[in-house]
Amino acid sequence: MIETIKFLIKKLAQDRTAAIGVFLILSLILVAIFAPILATHPADITEFHPPERLLGPSAEHYFGTDRMGSDIYSRLLYGARITIAIALIAISVSVIIGVPIGLLAGYYRNWVSDALMRVSDIFLAVPQIILAIAIAQTLGPSIQNVILALSATYWPFWTRLVYAETRSALNEPYVEASIALGASPSRVMILHVLPNISSSIIVRTTIGMGGTILTAAALGFLGLGPPPPSPEWGRTIAESREFLPEAWWYAAAPGIAIFLVVMGFNLLGDGLRDILDPRTRRSKGG
Amino acid sequence: MRILYLMFNRLIWFFPTVFGLLLLVFTISHIIPADPVAFLAGDNATNEQIADLRAQYGFDRPLYIQFINYVMGTFQGDLGISLYTQRPISDDLLGRLPATLELTFVSVLISAILGVPLGVIAAVYRNSVADHILRLITVSGLAIASFWLAILFQLFFAMELQWTPLQGRIDGWGPDHITGFFLLDSLLVGDWESFGSAFSHLVLPVATLAFPAMATIMRFTRAGVLDAINSNYVLYEQAMGFPERIIIWKYILRNALIGTVTQIGLIFGLLLAGTVVVEAVFDWPGLGLYAVQSIMNSDYNAIMGFTLITGTMFILINLLVDVLQGVMDPRSEL
Repeated sequence: MIETIKFLIKKLAQDRTAAIGVFLILSLILVAIFAPILATHPADITEFHPPERLLGPSAEHYFGTDRMGSDIYSRLLYGARITIAIALIAISVSVIIGVPIGLLAGYYRNWVSDALMRVSDIFLAVPQIILAIAIAQTLGPSIQNVILALSATYWPFWTRLVYAETRSALNEPYVEASIALGASPSRVMILHVLPNISSSIIVRTTIGMGGTILTAAALGFLGLGPPPPSPEWGRTIAESREFLPEAWWYAAAPGIAIFLVVMGFNLLGDGLRDILDPRTRRSKGG
Repeated sequence: MRILYLMFNRLIWFFPTVFGLLLLVFTISHIIPADPVAFLAGDNATNEQIADLRAQYGFDRPLYIQFINYVMGTFQGDLGISLYTQRPISDDLLGRLPATLELTFVSVLISAILGVPLGVIAAVYRNSVADHILRLITVSGLAIASFWLAILFQLFFAMELQWTPLQGRIDGWGPDHITGFFLLDSLLVGDWESFGSAFSHLVLPVATLAFPAMATIMRFTRAGVLDAINSNYVLYEQAMGFPERIIIWKYILRNALIGTVTQIGLIFGLLLAGTVVVEAVFDWPGLGLYAVQSIMNSDYNAIMGFTLITGTMFILINLLVDVLQGVMDPRSEL
C-alpha cells in the first residue's frame, strides 16, 4: 500500500499537468482549513457593514466588498469549506452506495442484478442537474439537502462503471482460479475483483469531484443551495448580477475560484488515468 | 431489416424506462416533500379545509392508486395545473419547448462544426503548439461554470462592447408563429428584421452552451482519430501511397466519427440540462427559465412536469443515438 502511494506520488510529480491539478486541490484544502487565519475579516461571514458596500478591490478588501459591505475575500475562503464539504460528502455517499451495488450486480447473473441495473439506468436517464433540482426543490434549500440531492443523482455512475469492470474482471484467470479454489462470493468480490478495478474507481471519483462541484455551484446559483448569508460561491455569483457591470469584482472572484478548483480535479483525474491505465497514454487518449 | 430490428430492440426498453422515470418523479413529489396540501391551503386553513383539499386532489387515497392516476393522467397529456400560472402545465411546457429546442439545436450544430475539425487538427498535429492551445481550450471548457461564463459574456459583449443584446429572445413580437423556431419562421416569411434580431439574441446563449460541448467533442474526435491513425488499415493505405489528405479526411474521419456521433447525442442531452442555468441568465423564455421560475414560486407540480418532459426527451435522444450508431457502424452489436 505504501509502495503504491510512493509510486503514485513519484509519477504525479513527473506529470506536469497532474502536478498543477494536485497543487490546485491542495490549495483549496489548505484555504478551507486555515480560512479563519487567512481571512482578513472573518466576522464578515455573518456581519454586515452597509456603509462599505460595493467597494472595489483594495489593500483593505483584496477582492472588494459585496452588497452588504462584507469582505468578498474572507467570504470566499469560507465558501471553500462549503464546496469541499458538499463535494466530499456527496461523492463519498455516491461511492458507498454505487460501488457495492455495481459489484453485486456484476458478480451475480440473475434477475436481481438485472433489476439493479435497470434502476440505475432510470436514474441515468435524467440529466443529473435536473434530478438534483427536483430533489433539492422538494426538500428545501440547505447544505444537507444539496448533499442529499447530489448523492441521489450521482451514485449510478459508479454502479455502471463497477458493473462493467466486474463483468470483465470475472473473465480473468486469477478470478476464475480463486472461484475454482472455493472462495466465497464476498471473498472474490472484495479481495480479488475490487482491488483490480480500484484504479478505474479512483479516476472516476476524481473527475466526479469536479462535476459535483459544478452542479453544486449551479444549485447555489439557482437559489437551491444553503440560504443567505451563506458564502457559498454559486450563490455569491447570483447575488452579484444586480450590480454588474459596475461591481465586476463581485462576480469575478467566486467564478475564478470555481474554475480553478474544478480544473484541479479534472487535471488530476486525467493524470491519474494516464498513470493507472497504461492502455490510454496521453499521446493516445488525450 | 437490420435497422428495423435495431429500432424494435431499443423501443422495447423505451416504455419500461419512461415508466421508471414516472415512478421516480412520483416518489420525489409524493414521499419526500412537506405536505403539498398544507402548502396549497395556506397558513390559516382549518383542519377541515385541509381534509377537503386532500380529498379533492386525491391525496387521501392509497399511494398506489395515486400513482396509477398519475400515470393515466400523464399519458393523456395531463401534468396537472401550475400553482403559479394557473394554466395546465402541459400547455406551459409545450409553448416553451420551441425556444429551448432552437437554442439547443443551434448550440449542438455550432459545437460539432467547430469541435470535429479542431479535434482532427489536434490529433494530426499532436504535441504541436496548436495541439497544446486546443488542449488548454478543452480543459477550460470543461472546468468553467456555465452560469459564470454566461455572465462574463454579458459583461464583455453586451454591457461593455454593446455588440449583442443583453438578454431575451427577440425584440418586438417575433415572426408569425409557424414552427415556433424564430430563425426558421422569420426565414419562411422573409422577415429579415426578425431574423437579424433572433440571430443576435442567440449569439451569447449559444456561445455559452457550445463552449463546453465543443470541448467534449474535440476531446473525443482527437482520441478517435489518434486510435484510427495507429490502426492497421491506415498503415496499409499509407503503404499503398494514398495522399495523406484523403486518408485523414475520408478514412480516418469516418471511423473516428462513429464515437463522436454517440458523444453528440449525449451532448444534446447535457445541453438540454444546461439550458436551465443559461436560460435563467439570458432570460430566454424556454423550458429552463420556466423551471427556474417554478423553483422561485415553489410550484413543484411544474417542476415535476419539467423533469418528466426533459427526462423523456433525454431517453428518446439516447434511443436515436443507439440506432444511428448501429446504422453507421455495422460492427456494433445491440
